[in-house]
Amino acid sequence: MISAIYNFALTTGANRVIRGSRIEHVCGDPTLSPEKDYAFGMRIVTTALQTLTIAVPGPTLFDPMAPGKTEEAAHAS
Amino acid sequence: MRLEMGTFPVTDIVFGRTTRYDAGRLTVDRETVLAAVRQDPRIAKAELEIARPGESVRIWPVRDVIEPRVKVEGPGVCYPGICGRDIATVGRGRTHRLAGMGVVEVSSVNWHDAGGDFVETYLDMSGHYGEMYPYQKLVNLCLVVEPDATLSEEVKNYAVHKAALTVADQLGEAVRSLAPPEREVFELTPVDPSLPRVVYIWCVHSPQAMSGSPTAFCTATYGLTQLTPPWYLHPNEILDGALTGPYRTAFAMSWTVANNPLFLDLYRRHGRDWNFLGVISLRTEWTTQTEKQLMANQTAKLAGQLGAQGAVVTWDAGGNEFIEVVRSIQACERLGIKTVFLTSEDDATDGAPTMLEPLPEADAIVSTSFFKNVTLAVPEAPAVSRVIGSPTRIVRRGSTIGLHGGVDGVALPTTGPMPPPWRYDDHYGFSSLSCAE
Repeated sequence: MISAIYNFALTTGANRVIRGSRIEHVCGDPTLSPEKDYAFGMRIVTTALQTLTIAVPGPTLFDPMAPGKTEEAAHAS
Repeated sequence: MRLEMGTFPVTDIVFGRTTRYDAGRLTVDRETVLAAVRQDPRIAKAELEIARPGESVRIWPVRDVIEPRVKVEGPGVCYPGICGRDIATVGRGRTHRLAGMGVVEVSSVNWHDAGGDFVETYLDMSGHYGEMYPYQKLVNLCLVVEPDATLSEEVKNYAVHKAALTVADQLGEAVRSLAPPEREVFELTPVDPSLPRVVYIWCVHSPQAMSGSPTAFCTATYGLTQLTPPWYLHPNEILDGALTGPYRTAFAMSWTVANNPLFLDLYRRHGRDWNFLGVISLRTEWTTQTEKQLMANQTAKLAGQLGAQGAVVTWDAGGNEFIEVVRSIQACERLGIKTVFLTSEDDATDGAPTMLEPLPEADAIVSTSFFKNVTLAVPEAPAVSRVIGSPTRIVRRGSTIGLHGGVDGVALPTTGPMPPPWRYDDHYGFSSLSCAE
């Protein structure tokens, strides 16, 4: 689940929670240029897809913007 | 900061040659008042009508109900900041108010054009539906007002609300130099230090995220509606209208904010039952987890800095805004500040909790009944003899139930039977409804 209010997603029992941008634009940022907005959204979505392959013990938060994730996301795209 | 509030009870309103107040009877010079409204070139149409308690009258739609208040002594103006009014800090000196009446803002102007939010509150002056709201007991002077159709939605909002405030100001002037029949002094005097120290955390919606504009019209703090960190307000500032409506709910009108019974009780019992520290006003609908948690932390920190041992918490919104509200409660409790939360409840479909994020720290909750009229099983309001406002209503986001029942865009007559609005949501405990039983 991609969510801007990720704690709520975790407490309600979603197993894989991806930190989204904002409530009104979970997978984007309208302040960015179209190209950068696309890359930003891709980073969130590819992180979400990657987590489907990861076994989790319970509700777990994944942050697409965390250090180290960039390369992985770039690889995947 | 000392404020003397002079109250002029209004028992009837009539139209006459000069605007004046005499022993409960308010005479309104309709043409002079309307001329003041029409001075604003943004106003295309304005009329005044009177609605009295018990009449078979429906007011459709209602954007706001305003209690006329006028600053007689001390700096500033009542309802400061909003619609370009003076922003001098209010709360000192003397204020006169016309009690038992409302100036009702009746207009088709919608809150904003970003979708989702519609003006859908109406008022019946008789019958079961109307009895659920405090405004049915008021003598109401209705301003039916429409702006220049070519203006933007935001400008239209400010134009029609300014028009309603202009009417309220004109009425307030009638009692400026009269001796008030009732007087009450409000002051946070030093009290017995053994009394518990209590703060009121008053959460109010910001339309910024929903509308996409930091200046969209809504409940305002000195005119500001945008998402801002928590404010500390002296309770006298509230009495002078520093926090004012309306928001899209029936219980977040200017009148309801000015007459919030929880706030008034907290203030009036200062020095007797507790030490009232004032109001922390938190804007809600932040749009990330981080922002929501930050506002909760800062609200609790401010309450702690004020020396609070207890906090009473209300909110006027719904949905995700619950997060910053309930997390403020959690943050207070973690600092050792005991909390009581006054809120409506959602329906518990399939055993779901009646609150979005039930946190264990929020363990003292007073229910003001259900959020939705449909959960309360409020019946349709019967047909009425007269409508003040629009003779038709347009079905928005057509659905099978309630006020939106029907085909999207269809116009229905407003004199006929009408379903209650989707939302009830008594924010401040005006009614005696509860879900505790």
